[in-house]
Amino acid sequence: MRFKVWRSGKEGAAARYETYEVEPRRGMNVLEVLFEIQDHKDDSLAFRYSCRGAVCGSCAMMINREIRLACRTQVHMIGKYRPMGLKPFPPLVRQVDWDPSREVLIEPLPNLPILKDLVVDMARFYEHHRAVKPYLEDKEPERPVLISPQVSEKLDKWANCILCGACYGACPVCYKNQRYVGPAALAWSLRFVDDPRSSAETLERLSLVKHPDGVPACEWYYNCVRACPKSVAPAAAIRILKNKLIELKLI
Amino acid sequence: MIEHDVLVVGGGLAGLRASLEALKTCDVGLLSKVHPVRSHSCAAQGGINAVLSETDSVDAHSFDTVKGSDYLADQDSVEILCGEAPDRIRELDRFGVLFSRTAEGAIAQRPFGGAGFPRTCYAADRTGHHLLNALHEQCIREGLKIYDEWFVLRLVRMGTSVTGLVAYHVPTGEIAGFRAGAVILATGGYGRIYRKSTNSVINTGDGAVLALDAGAELKDMEFVQFHPTTLLGNNILITEGARGEGGTLVNKDGDRFMAKYAKEAMELAPRDIVARAIQTEINNGLGIDGDHVNLVLTHLGEELIKTKLPGIRQIAMDFAGIDPIEEPIPVEPGQHYSMGGIAVGNDCRSSLDRLLSAGEASCVSVHGANRLGGNSLLETVVFGKIAGASAAADAKQGRAEAEDGVEQVVRKERARVDELVGGRGTDVVADIRMELKDIMTSRFQLFRNAEDMRIGQEMIDSLRGRLATSRVSEASRDFNYGVTRYLELQNMVAVARTVAAGAIAREESRGSHFRTDFPKRDDARFLRHTVFRLSDGRLQLSYAAVRLGKFPVRERTY
Repeated sequence: MRFKVWRSGKEGAAARYETYEVEPRRGMNVLEVLFEIQDHKDDSLAFRYSCRGAVCGSCAMMINREIRLACRTQVHMIGKYRPMGLKPFPPLVRQVDWDPSREVLIEPLPNLPILKDLVVDMARFYEHHRAVKPYLEDKEPERPVLISPQVSEKLDKWANCILCGACYGACPVCYKNQRYVGPAALAWSLRFVDDPRSSAETLERLSLVKHPDGVPACEWYYNCVRACPKSVAPAAAIRILKNKLIELKLI
Repeated sequence: MIEHDVLVVGGGLAGLRASLEALKTCDVGLLSKVHPVRSHSCAAQGGINAVLSETDSVDAHSFDTVKGSDYLADQDSVEILCGEAPDRIRELDRFGVLFSRTAEGAIAQRPFGGAGFPRTCYAADRTGHHLLNALHEQCIREGLKIYDEWFVLRLVRMGTSVTGLVAYHVPTGEIAGFRAGAVILATGGYGRIYRKSTNSVINTGDGAVLALDAGAELKDMEFVQFHPTTLLGNNILITEGARGEGGTLVNKDGDRFMAKYAKEAMELAPRDIVARAIQTEINNGLGIDGDHVNLVLTHLGEELIKTKLPGIRQIAMDFAGIDPIEEPIPVEPGQHYSMGGIAVGNDCRSSLDRLLSAGEASCVSVHGANRLGGNSLLETVVFGKIAGASAAADAKQGRAEAEDGVEQVVRKERARVDELVGGRGTDVVADIRMELKDIMTSRFQLFRNAEDMRIGQEMIDSLRGRLATSRVSEASRDFNYGVTRYLELQNMVAVARTVAAGAIAREESRGSHFRTDFPKRDDARFLRHTVFRLSDGRLQLSYAAVRLGKFPVRERTY
């Protein structure tokens, strides 16, 4: 099987695609293909990894022009997965000499600066995450707050985010506006807004996402929902936040 | 030169909790070879133990832990672990962890292996993910200085004290010195020396080797936990919580074979016992397709699986194409946890001044010869907090030595890394890594014997020589993973040597360490900890007494 991988140029040279032939073993995933290349064909290939079980969020990248975790993408399923149906924007439709029937195209996560090969600079993504104050203020209540299973499960949906950046890389708004905090950060915002342990901070938290590059910037492409490997559905969180902002006359 | 009062190495649960504590009084820097949220803690599934019910007791939790450890745990350490647990859980609740709840809104608890009471708190089956995020969030809130993608190369020691460290910046290849009043190693375990392992690829035992090379002691390295239920083929963890919620194990005849091995506890016997039972079934020709057994959840119903075990359902669907609501999950035992580690006391201080350790990287010992499920997350927060406080106290004593010696080590390490790259060596580094994993998996696995292990030990030694003459062909400085993976492999080989030496020397069977040539526990000779240190580059073993207490040493049945 042929894997066409985006490579940075060395020492000022232009970026290029390099094609590797890898014989897939049973049960092999794309992350293992990248390791096979690094181990036996080209030890200069750079990509991030850690858990290899779709929980650490290190290996989000573009595979056949869809945003996926490399470890979660089974080689034998490539071409058989239900198409993500991402709304097109420039990184997804950039011209490349690629034969989808014979080659798997592997490119870095869009919308973030490329550092080397498949490694992108996540700094902006992490800064946006921090900007929504993604933490409880530890105010030591006298008695533990009781939380119903329903509320806990509702928050769980947003808190299952693994900060892989797939939604950020899939979002057409993030492509054109680097100041937009993006889908993941807004899902985290709602997770804390709705936490009964932080009810006193709700207004303050909402005011952090009401600015033009916060909630109002979303243009409802829903690419974040389609690309999220953890079914977080950030756009649904953004909708709820928007309704709260309108209700409280904050926007 | 970068300087902090306290340096923490490792951004998982133990490192983050230690940082939070030290931050109360000190300036803290945290180094991690990955961004903290990528740490292996995120993969923990089932839960965290604590006594929260009036009908449970700290004594009962302690007894279960001591018995589970096959009496090798130090009983005063276990008392700290279990005694502190309720406060740490309440603290995690305040930090924002989304624990699963009872109908009344309290923190829910589920049964776990080897426990006489359902005392495992959980956040569905993604407990580690939720804990890691909450602690990372609190560290963001406190403004912790995080150096991510820094790989620590060497500790710097002057006299009997650690004075700093030297680290390699993966994005740029820069090698820099860090000076500190105290260093905490919270680098996790060494599971990746095995081929079949639930661990993240990054779990290469770096901390143990940093400590050993600096002259500190390691302890009980031969005790390696094999989890009974890892997904067949790629060995991703399938939580013990699946059995806690009522899942059963069956062999090729459809028999619940655990009745033969632990007739009362059945599937909820401790991990060492269940893992050996599964392997015995497979070895006796009762495995399915000769290589696995089935974990059956189909009778639990869609609702329970979707709410309490959604993570493993997703794993089974993504990685095996199986929906556990409809089909059983094929499982085999796989390496899961490192009981051994850097020898520390109850205050998390090591045998060197100003060097501390916590979490899986350390060995207090609270897990002894076999860790109970739900006790490792607990250890990270209990002893992470203690390590942070001890390190802060050490750092407040002022600098240990007028000369810290860091610059000198920076120069040496630069030369070492320069020599590594851009050449043609004798071997492909990846081949050596694979050979090491195969040796460990075939010779230092669930069932061990002297002959296999002796051959294995010689093979590991020869790999060490071959690695020394191998090189990384890629010479670029930025994101040169060839360099980090080479350095990790050096650590893996060094750790494997300790595991091998400890396992060969321990001529008995206890907890996770089972010798077919010495199938009985031998308290007269081996109710003691193995201690490892380097002396003139040679590995030396000695033994230390186990601190016994109120629970008398008994035969261990379930």
